Amino acid sequence: MLVLFPMALFAQDDVWDDENWGDEEDSAVWSGFLEAGLGTRFDEDPLVDKRNTLEELRWRIESEWRPGKVTVGVKADAVYDAIESKWDADFRDLTAAFSLGDTIDVKVGRQVQTWGTGDLVFLNDLFPKDFISFFAGRDDEYLKAPGNAARFTWYSDAINADFVWTPIFEPDIYLTGERFSFYSPQAGENIAPSPPFHAPEPDESFSNGEFALRLYRTVESTEYAVYAYRGFFKQPPFAEMNAYGASFRRPAGPGLFNIETSHYDSDTDQTRFLLGYEWEAQPRFTVGLQYYLERNEAAKNRYMLTNRLTYRAGMDKYTWSLFTFYSPSDDDYYFRPQFTYRHSDDWSLTAGANLLGGDETHTFFGQLDDASNAYVRVRYHY
Amino acid sequence: MTGRFMITLLALGFGTGVLAEALSDADEIIARANLAAYYAGVDGRSEVRMIISDAQGRQQRRQFTVLRRDVQDAGDQHFLVVFSQPSDVRNTVFLVDKHIDRDDDRWLYLPGLDLVKRISAGDKRTSFVGAHYFYEDVSGRSPADDAHELVETTGEFYVLRHTPVRPQSVEFSSYMTWIDRDTFLPMKIEYTNAAGNLYRRVEVLKVEDFDGHPTVTISQVSDLLTGGKTDMQFRYIKYDAGLPESVFTERSLRSPPRDWLKRPEK
Repeated sequence: MLVLFPMALFAQDDVWDDENWGDEEDSAVWSGFLEAGLGTRFDEDPLVDKRNTLEELRWRIESEWRPGKVTVGVKADAVYDAIESKWDADFRDLTAAFSLGDTIDVKVGRQVQTWGTGDLVFLNDLFPKDFISFFAGRDDEYLKAPGNAARFTWYSDAINADFVWTPIFEPDIYLTGERFSFYSPQAGENIAPSPPFHAPEPDESFSNGEFALRLYRTVESTEYAVYAYRGFFKQPPFAEMNAYGASFRRPAGPGLFNIETSHYDSDTDQTRFLLGYEWEAQPRFTVGLQYYLERNEAAKNRYMLTNRLTYRAGMDKYTWSLFTFYSPSDDDYYFRPQFTYRHSDDWSLTAGANLLGGDETHTFFGQLDDASNAYVRVRYHY
Repeated sequence: MTGRFMITLLALGFGTGVLAEALSDADEIIARANLAAYYAGVDGRSEVRMIISDAQGRQQRRQFTVLRRDVQDAGDQHFLVVFSQPSDVRNTVFLVDKHIDRDDDRWLYLPGLDLVKRISAGDKRTSFVGAHYFYEDVSGRSPADDAHELVETTGEFYVLRHTPVRPQSVEFSSYMTWIDRDTFLPMKIEYTNAAGNLYRRVEVLKVEDFDGHPTVTISQVSDLLTGGKTDMQFRYIKYDAGLPESVFTERSLRSPPRDWLKRPEK
């Protein structure tokens, strides 16, 4: 061994330059990416001028610094969107995070938030979603839209509690007719109004603010949570509602099993129920199955099956995935095949498709028949 | 008194290079190697960086900080891994509750989605974050998963051959380990496949002492079939910092424990 050491160290010198361990993380590090994305429909939508569904250049800037006991986070996107012919900029994160004593964490500002056990299916997660980004082929990250909120988390041995106050209601980013046409019950067919559809939102007052609560605990590998929400449906016409729910997730057999349920108390009550199971069927090949039920007081039940297949290969350089939504009750479907090639730490390429359709145009995925598209994105990380 | 006497003897033994009497029980050697390699101190922290090279010499880099706490020696453990490089995984956090009697619990925090993703128990012998290291190389393979046989005792090493208890669950048919007789650290591991070919090698290239624990600070794993390799370097190592149990919870996924992640003072 002694003889080997000097040789081994010498051989490593070009790889292991001694610098670059990075500073202690008190100083700000700037990072992010540049991304070009292009997506186009398989068939034209007669109601929408542009055939492309994605045509943009995106510049992400991220940083974080810690003056004293506060952590300030910034995550901003500047985008040139050729579909809407405009420059846009948004903060996905602009927050101050700090602790109150030993047991309370606070995060105030613009932030993305997620909870619940569903995979691309949401019951108790009533934080804003961006469905335009989701259908257009942007990164999955953009399905979660940022909102201006204050989050308080209290930790104890017995239970943890999250409380999120969103003072001004944050709706989903919903279909407006600008990029994708959508079904109008009044017209009885798809429409793409100009100017784009904009539904009246609840008045911007604190009394219309949203409150979301989660109590959760993990005991011996099993995660329990209960949820409560006061606010509005996130999609037009934004009916007032309160929601109550619970979830449970634990290992079972070779995989993970989860149950989640939620009751929406509103003009028309709704109960949602989810069963899920995920396991690694083969090394690097993961299968996820979900059964989702929406029981409406007034309308008929809607249920849906989802399937996620993920295969990683070549030391995780290649990832193939297919996510499928299929609703036997609505006779509609949504397939999301995707391929990611991570060329290096700097460059990656993603190609995929959004294949939507159904027997009838009034269903959630059926109305997007003409939106089916394929896309490619190239990203440079810095 | 007896205890102190023993310690003095051991210290003398190490100091003068006189070897303790060689062990002859393979299971005992493996038990001590497991403790030396994965259970030093009650807790530990280290910064880790990896250079992943493919056969064409193209390189990728990973950098992260690991916090570890033992529930029990040779038993359950917690790991918290906080990534800082490359930029697409910065602030990604990985939490592992390692169990001896059942599958490990694993959670991954994806900051872009604010998503705490639970990971189903999987094959532990697949790439760890794109490296040639496997999950199992990082958190340790259970001694109970193999049958151990002492093949040779040299002046420096115990040389052991290991055969899997459940051969269908792993990609190797056997492996050999060279365990340092002084430190009980496995210094070299070589894997043989069903065709009888040597196809994978893990080597320790440097060991340093921290807080009285001999610790691997440079290692390398080579894929002998493809020519790829991963170099791994450990720095800013500290043992027995008094990491509390509460560091290894969902709280640390969303807000990493900065006070405990800080580099130790020299």
